Amino acid sequence: MNTLARVALMAEMHARDLLRRRIALALLVALPLAFYFSSVRNGRDAIAGGGIGMAFAIAGATLFSALSSLAVDQRLILSGYRPVELLLGRLAFLGPLAAGVSAGFAALMSGLSHPADPWLLGVGVATVGLAAVPLGLAIGAVVPRELEGTLAVIGVVGMQMSTGTHSVLAKFLPFYGPRRLIDAAVDGHGSVAGPLLQTALYSVALLVAARLFLGPRLAVRRATPVPVPDDASALVGTTT
Amino acid sequence: MTGLRPAASLLPASPSPSPAERTVHPLTATGVSKNYGRVRVLEDVTLRVSAGEVVALVGENGAGKSTLMKICAGLLRPDLGQISAPAGIGYCPQEPSLFDLLTTDEHLAMFGRGAGLTRDQAVSRGHALLDEFGFGAGRRLVVKDMSGGTRQKLNLAIALLADPGLLLLDEPYQGFDHGTYVNFWDHCDRWRVGGKGVVVVTHMLAELNRVDRIVELPAHPSRAGARR
Repeated sequence: MNTLARVALMAEMHARDLLRRRIALALLVALPLAFYFSSVRNGRDAIAGGGIGMAFAIAGATLFSALSSLAVDQRLILSGYRPVELLLGRLAFLGPLAAGVSAGFAALMSGLSHPADPWLLGVGVATVGLAAVPLGLAIGAVVPRELEGTLAVIGVVGMQMSTGTHSVLAKFLPFYGPRRLIDAAVDGHGSVAGPLLQTALYSVALLVAARLFLGPRLAVRRATPVPVPDDASALVGTTT
Repeated sequence: MTGLRPAASLLPASPSPSPAERTVHPLTATGVSKNYGRVRVLEDVTLRVSAGEVVALVGENGAGKSTLMKICAGLLRPDLGQISAPAGIGYCPQEPSLFDLLTTDEHLAMFGRGAGLTRDQAVSRGHALLDEFGFGAGRRLVVKDMSGGTRQKLNLAIALLADPGLLLLDEPYQGFDHGTYVNFWDHCDRWRVGGKGVVVVTHMLAELNRVDRIVELPAHPSRAGARR
């Protein structure tokens, strides 16, 4: 119960923090729109581009949320939080945010680009958003600063964009499942369960990686009582 | 009102413990060494702080004061040495670790929850602390819009929120106006009376008569040589 309360409070604070970043919030919506509208006349390419734009936006926002607060996070751990509570708190806010942005964006693309299966497009775009959050958290847990993290996000999403769905490399990238779902939605046929399962497993693996790498970075080493010799100096150096 | 006000409402009005009564050691750091890369920052440092004792930690820039505080707080792993400290530590970092776009009350609620306080408890206790520190900012003001001294008061209040038995304060008065700064040391007196162990990193030598003991971290020869 206490853990739930802490996770809920952290989610609330992340929400308050992001909702006050109006420009960032606007860019979060504008980036996928820009990707989409830059090729809106090209049908399939426009939808794929919109998905990629959303992957950049959500993963980038998650990355900055994680990296910009490392010092505060460690102090929160010192105050009594556990690393997993901070991770889940961020996820509890960013996950629904990604789902909300995805839903609106999928509705827009369905209306303008007329995919064969609009509902499946909604599922595909939602998986882009939901896969991008664990990706941002995992990269944020590994890299030291925002620049390195941004380059890593560009690298992963860019590789996914530049490799075809039949490429071997593409199958090992986090947005392979969402991309297959979006293709299936556009074409009106294709596997659904497999890409969904793949996305779910990939996301869980990324979250586990985020937790594993975040732990040592945020760890507070609880002091243990140790026997102290009576003649231990009260100091090192000079006592005045 | 810019200065710190008396903290009588939060601290027991018991007399200061005699040296003989200071048998409990809230903090014992033994044989602590730390390197950053090839640079030895701390070497075989031993520091013991008793309950009801205020210790000033001094030393030139780069002597390892902040590093030692982080190690004592558990935020940094020493290469060698052991730390004995209570579970609840009030750590006030030199640079306020706060969210720029959260308000005072939101910070209090967030950090209080970590210590097991409800939102109401945390905010109420935090307000009482901030009132003592002469916190003049509106509760709805976000951190980025606060002055440096006001941020530092919030930083200090967060360290005190859970009423810890050990306070590790790394230059906690930065940005304070003169009245607040002077009265910060009055608070140290009260924390002493309340039986807390207090370590204050300071460069303000004029106030060292307010502490029980001064501990000077020497600049290690390897670094002293490197500067020449």
